Amino acid sequence: MSMVASHYLALSRRSIVNTIRQPISIVPALTFPLMFLALNSAALAESINLPGFPRVDSFLQFMVATTIMQGALFGSIAAGADMARDIEGGFFDRLIATPVARTAILVGRVAGAFTLSFAQAWIFFGAATIFGLEVEGGLLGMFGVALIAGSLGAGFGSVSMSFALKTGSSEAVQGSFPALFIFLFLSSAFFPRELMTGWFQDVATMNPLSHLIESARHLVIGGWDTGEWLTGLGIAAIIFALGILVSGRALAGRLAESA
Amino acid sequence: MSSFEVTWAIAKRSLILIPRVLSTFIPSLVMPVFLLIAFSGAFAGLVNLRGFPADQMLDWILPMSTLQGCAFAGVTTGLGVARDLENGFFDRLSLSPAPRGAILAGPLLASVLRAFFPLVILLGLGFIAGVNLPGGFLGIVALACAGFALALVAGCWAVGMALRTKSMQVAPLIQMALFLTFFLSTALMPLELLTGWVHAIAQFNPMTSVLELARQGFLGDVAWSTTWPGLVALTGMIAVLGLFARRGLP
Repeated sequence: MSMVASHYLALSRRSIVNTIRQPISIVPALTFPLMFLALNSAALAESINLPGFPRVDSFLQFMVATTIMQGALFGSIAAGADMARDIEGGFFDRLIATPVARTAILVGRVAGAFTLSFAQAWIFFGAATIFGLEVEGGLLGMFGVALIAGSLGAGFGSVSMSFALKTGSSEAVQGSFPALFIFLFLSSAFFPRELMTGWFQDVATMNPLSHLIESARHLVIGGWDTGEWLTGLGIAAIIFALGILVSGRALAGRLAESA
Repeated sequence: MSSFEVTWAIAKRSLILIPRVLSTFIPSLVMPVFLLIAFSGAFAGLVNLRGFPADQMLDWILPMSTLQGCAFAGVTTGLGVARDLENGFFDRLSLSPAPRGAILAGPLLASVLRAFFPLVILLGLGFIAGVNLPGGFLGIVALACAGFALALVAGCWAVGMALRTKSMQVAPLIQMALFLTFFLSTALMPLELLTGWVHAIAQFNPMTSVLELARQGFLGDVAWSTTWPGLVALTGMIAVLGLFARRGLP
């Protein structure tokens, strides 16, 4: 194994072990989306009878893809906050004093964010299955949704890390959460776009998160569809590429400051 | 100084802190405004459900987000007490000859006064967006009564929790309890359209009556039958949570 690859592996392992050893840091990423799922599935149960609502067994089936992506967004904040804590605690400075590959600093955390979001997706599927969820796309569909969630978590995790690298403050990273929340609410995450009206529908249509969630949702309520899966994964990949670009620049800026 | 003078001085201090520490006040305004926009936009189609009592989702959501803003006003005042406890100001206040009751009444009065901001801003936004108000001026009075009283309820809850934990870290717990109280009621859907366990809880959740009181003027005429249950619920919550806050005093 090359030296750089071993750095990638070591820092990725550290990030994942960090998360496993401090489960409290991922509790919000698990509990909040599940709470939204439980509340909305019960409160909006009747809405599936509306004309124009996609054909679903229950609101739970409609909502589960949103819950999984919501978990990925929450998890991405945890990735940024961990990076900020590394900076606040001095680990980042000690790390860059070593000959470690600079890109490994980012790759380690990105891998952690991907793994967390991917694993969370299965936990959410498991919890929803207990309450009667049926995934039309079967195991392959669930795997496809989990991959989209992992990529989205890695993408927003990179954006969150750029906040951490720029500010060096975990509080500032946590403070960026409402922006993600707004991004999610101004989409078709909670209700079908077809049933929205006016400017809100236009905003939801322009929001890439609407299309990503609709693709993932299709795998749950409509069955496996390679085109839909690639659409979702493609949007997540674009977010990931943009995230890596901004976090790469932020890392370069912090390294230049430290030099 | 009399009890009232001390109460007013403490409340005034809390109000002066608004422009000085804007970062603690603005989120309590932004969140309800955002929820108003997001919920009335995303769930616009719900009004087409048979039995839904509003013509447009804005009429249904505006009173709810206004009440949320008022509740947040109470929460931020309570968190101010937590900050005073963390930095020692509250201890100095406790050692002064100020009456015990006034130390508690000050932040609670501030909670009610702070509720004025979300009430005016959200109502203003609602009118700009074209909200219906068939209940006229009485509808606004009903909403204002519910809003001010709910700010007091939330203030009692937040101050009580702050006095017990003496830490700002209690904020998520305070907000979560309020969030659940709202969303396990008729926040999104009328009681008749709720099913299962949420319906069972919403039936007994006092927030359901408070929302009915606040919403009535936006859905039709103001009537005593839709007013008194909300007033009883608010009185009960103020009594219970007021005692909770009082017993937290050192």
